[in-house]
Amino acid sequence: MATPQLLNDVINVLLMLAPAAAVVCLVLAGVSLRKEGGGITFVLGGGFSKWMFWCVVFLTLQPLLMWFRSFGLAVPLPGGGISTSWLALLESDITNFVNSFILRRLITTLAAYMVLRAVLDAASGEPFLPSVIAALFLLGAQTTLTLLSNWNSGTQYATLDVLNSAWNYLAGTIMPIAAGLAIVGAVFNLIAQRPTMRLVAVALALLSVSGIWYLVVDMAS
Amino acid sequence: MSFYNGFLNLTNWSGNVILPTLTGLFFAVAILRFSKGQSYSHALYSGLMCLMASGLLRALEKFASQRAWNDPDVYWVSIVSFVDWVGNVLMPIYAAMEVAMGGLALATGERIHFAGSWMRHFLAAGLCLLVSGFVRLAEFFVQRGTGGVT
Repeated sequence: MATPQLLNDVINVLLMLAPAAAVVCLVLAGVSLRKEGGGITFVLGGGFSKWMFWCVVFLTLQPLLMWFRSFGLAVPLPGGGISTSWLALLESDITNFVNSFILRRLITTLAAYMVLRAVLDAASGEPFLPSVIAALFLLGAQTTLTLLSNWNSGTQYATLDVLNSAWNYLAGTIMPIAAGLAIVGAVFNLIAQRPTMRLVAVALALLSVSGIWYLVVDMAS
Repeated sequence: MSFYNGFLNLTNWSGNVILPTLTGLFFAVAILRFSKGQSYSHALYSGLMCLMASGLLRALEKFASQRAWNDPDVYWVSIVSFVDWVGNVLMPIYAAMEVAMGGLALATGERIHFAGSWMRHFLAAGLCLLVSGFVRLAEFFVQRGTGGVT
């Protein structure tokens, strides 16, 4: 029995809306980055990681469906466009809304609010860094999305490939810069007569994240 | 716009723009404290540290790159390098400063007392130069101690 056209169109709509869902996840990840920033540390494994994970899943949804073949379940993805006009219109409207409203305008406004929040945080004696970092993350959402898309290998392991590449990017590119920020924090701690050595050790650790990973692997083997 | 550029520029701005700007403030505080006869060394060191954020990061980068990036010992070696640098580079420099301060205390004092501050400065200078020796001595004692009390 042939699959009804309407069902094929619904599947097509959902698959074509996956990148738009990834954008929404990225924005929510940016907001989580602000909410979960505890002073100068950031929670890994909380809301930010969760939303980033779903963003990657949505970006690699089609390659991920290949796994069903290995389970013995055929997943024939309907090709071509959407023949049902109202469904095509719905997909086009939602994609347009996400790209024009959220990605081009809302993100910038949210980032501006985060900057204002950073100033108000500083005024109330709270750490302002989480708000600034979240603003930077939101402003770079478009580039981050392109970066994640470029890591998509298109194989059934695409989701993990993207997550692995993201870890490498974090450990090899972002963390050495974070080490610089840790040194700045250590100097500020010295000025405020707070403990400094912890941040110096953290800066060294941030510069050698990959080495620590291999150390843990060595310990486990 | 990208997160990488934003994060890099934030770090550069805080380390190379804001901190050096604050240096003048800390030097001014140090002078004011000195003029009132209060302890000024913390403000002085804070000002110096503000100027050295980039240099400190370069030093830590050097410590962390003593081994390959995938070497499990890279963190340990970087800590060893840091300790080595503190013990064998910074402490001798501090020893020289202590000798200078001891000499100054000796020259400006009216009488020479063996319990005077010049004695403390010279003793501190000697201890600064003996950091490695003290560690080796402690290691020697511990090694001998493994044989038990005879």
